Amino acid sequence: MPTLRVNGEQLEAADGARNLLSYLRFDLGLTGTKYACGEGLCGACTVLVDGQALRSCMTSVGAIAGGEVTTIEGLAPGARSPGDLHPVQQAFVEEGAMQCGYCIPGFVMSTVGLLAREPHPTRGQVQEALAEHICRCGTYVRILRAVERAAEGADAVSAP
Amino acid sequence: MSAAGAGLDVYGDVTFGIPDRLRASYRTTTYFNTAPDEPLQRWLTVGADGRVRAFAGKVEYGQGVRSGFAMEVAAELRLPLEAVEVTLGDTELVPWDLGTFGSGSTAYVGLQLRRAAATARQALLDLAADRFDLPTSELHLADGRVVAGGDDARSLGYGELVSDAYRRAEIPEGEVELTAPGEFTVLGAERGRVDAMERVTGAAVYSRDVLLPGLLHAAVIRPPSLGAELTALDAGVAAQLPGVVRVVHEPAGPGRPLLAAVLAESDEQALRAADVVQARWEERPGQPSRWDVPGILLDSARDTMLMQESGDVEAGLEASVRTLEATYYAPYISIAPMEPRAATARWEDGRLTVWAGTQRPFGIRSELASYFELPEAQVRVIAPEIGGGFGGKSIYPLALEAARLARAAERPVRVAFSRTEETQHSTFRPAALVSIRSGVDAEGRLVAWGYEAIHAGERALIGRRGSESPYAAPHQRTVVSSADSPLPVGSYRSLGAAVNHFARESHVDEIAAAAGADPVEWRRRHLEDRRYHGVLDEAVRRFRWSPAAPASGARDGRGRGVAVGIDVGSYVALCVDVEVRGQEVRVERVSAAIDCGLAVNPDGVINQMEGGILQGLGGTLTEAVEFERGVVLNPGFARYRVPRIHNTPRVDVGIVGDPQLRSTGAGELGIVPIAAAVANAVYDATGQRIRELPLQRQLEAVG
Repeated sequence: MPTLRVNGEQLEAADGARNLLSYLRFDLGLTGTKYACGEGLCGACTVLVDGQALRSCMTSVGAIAGGEVTTIEGLAPGARSPGDLHPVQQAFVEEGAMQCGYCIPGFVMSTVGLLAREPHPTRGQVQEALAEHICRCGTYVRILRAVERAAEGADAVSAP
Repeated sequence: MSAAGAGLDVYGDVTFGIPDRLRASYRTTTYFNTAPDEPLQRWLTVGADGRVRAFAGKVEYGQGVRSGFAMEVAAELRLPLEAVEVTLGDTELVPWDLGTFGSGSTAYVGLQLRRAAATARQALLDLAADRFDLPTSELHLADGRVVAGGDDARSLGYGELVSDAYRRAEIPEGEVELTAPGEFTVLGAERGRVDAMERVTGAAVYSRDVLLPGLLHAAVIRPPSLGAELTALDAGVAAQLPGVVRVVHEPAGPGRPLLAAVLAESDEQALRAADVVQARWEERPGQPSRWDVPGILLDSARDTMLMQESGDVEAGLEASVRTLEATYYAPYISIAPMEPRAATARWEDGRLTVWAGTQRPFGIRSELASYFELPEAQVRVIAPEIGGGFGGKSIYPLALEAARLARAAERPVRVAFSRTEETQHSTFRPAALVSIRSGVDAEGRLVAWGYEAIHAGERALIGRRGSESPYAAPHQRTVVSSADSPLPVGSYRSLGAAVNHFARESHVDEIAAAAGADPVEWRRRHLEDRRYHGVLDEAVRRFRWSPAAPASGARDGRGRGVAVGIDVGSYVALCVDVEVRGQEVRVERVSAAIDCGLAVNPDGVINQMEGGILQGLGGTLTEAVEFERGVVLNPGFARYRVPRIHNTPRVDVGIVGDPQLRSTGAGELGIVPIAAAVANAVYDATGQRIRELPLQRQLEAVG
């Protein structure tokens, strides 16, 4: 039975062939990670595995055995006000970067992954990192602003 | 048409689904889609702790209505936004409502909540006046308390004032004294969403996220093409697979659609079992393909409605010095919300509860009650957060499927569409064909305007919206027809308005170009309604449009375009910059202006405008449903190309208009003029006048 860590908790999955997205949503109740296309084309199901953005709908639990999974619920557990949020989540709130919000957890996770490897991304790098995400409400204008705001924050944090 | 399809009746037949006891008053009220005669306590409660809760039958699917409603209530009760809690879309808790569509939320229910909150404010003041033995003129409201002025400032919290006397307060039938725009603190201010936290932490519960104890997952066996009929079903092997609890097969009958499904303990077990179910289908012969559509529209046009007429178009055309005739075409497009539909149903002691992300919870409740022959009070429909709908989720057959399966299994059941099912088994924005004949005099002034539109589908109202010309002309005639539709059609953001505007605003650009006139100036000369001038002036100012700009007509691959529009009582104008390279149109910049009367939540208005523009770029440039013999060939995002983040132009939006005017819709305006504005810019950039959407498919490579 494959073992993995999800949001810091060590778990043993009963079935290595289990789809990772279904495992997170239905077996663990972590419904913040969304199904939208089921073929890795829209990014709604994005989680971090060992810090890297991954499409959970295209992955089995066994394929990431031993890995450390972070879902949207794991970014700032127990946050009660925007001040407690992860800086990327905070930036999305401050820019009002959402409408229906269904795609937003995926965008947030990819952004966290991007800023971890590239704290000062160019507009082109941001667009590349988020090119495989879809927001049908069309809030891209605000999502771009939110990512840039979060990146500026990363600047401030890393500055001496 | 099935009960589920009746959702489309809502515009044409306002009596649909209205409870009997409300029917008499309903006809006499200006509120076309809710029940304003419900008592104050159904709209708004004040708890003993002073907490204010507002209730509305609208649902939240991205428009930000929860935030707008909270602002309206907070404004009237002089409360901080955080002190107001809004409950939406739960038939057990909220006043009856027709549905969330047609931009009725802020315009009607928001106003009703303001009336309720203003009534509550007055009642609290009157009660406090009694308690303090002071006239209300010496009292004021601050932060959830009624304060008696003077040096010994005494105060009572709202919760302390709530009593039987308060609960008897009624919303007056006539005018209620609302807070004037000049006194707004919360209303009209720049504020974020009240539900943003839940959306960035994953805590928001959408229909797909409703997981109940003992839940079974369903995989429904669906027809491979439109109208196919099941002739044989063998689920013997499927029933033996691990996790499978039951196979349900209820054949079609009078008032009962076919339902065949596998129920299993997990989602994957259900899907695997459904894969091995042997179903034989008899496909309906003669199912059309996408290339048949224009011919079908022309051959089956009927129920022609005269929308406007003055003078004599034929005589006007004869009297014109230059005439123009052109036909415009828009294919079916897919609604493609991010959240494919899902429903979860539970039966308890003969009572049914269904969680379904529908825009019409009360309509769905009626359908369920009627199917199961239950009183409506025995059925509860809860619309959780909805991952996009854009009009399409008024129709929600999954609610009934889940309820039937849960009854058969005697356990809660969840039915969820895959992406392919969401596309293949829902409705589309109707295809449409528009022919326009126009004539101008020697000065380029419009003399004749003849507009004939044919929109696919039975519901003429879909195609009617936005068809009337706002341009002054002595001779004009506008008619709109319905026609057969090879694909099921339904509502989608602005209905036919976006398509009618594509045709009309493209055509007036052609007229202006032929007359050598600047397209902004030409519109100014012909628009009579001053609110059009307000939005056009603002968009032009933001864009820095100059009639003398040399780029115009240079055909260097860079171009600009303009279009104006009206929908749901609001006005809009857009100016766009495009760059055309090869077969790609890049929209670089969009300057927009909207006039929606009082903008309750300006940031929400801007967000909706940006979103409508971005979403509209899909139908403008790339989106079209491919179908052959009743099968959709591009149900997924690989072949159905919607806008992505690298397609994002710079967008700036201005809000103009008179805040004394009542609020009208904001969510459907961005999409209305975008296709024409871009088509006009493509013409400016390339000299190619493209009259068929999506533009990129018709574009001849440039450069």
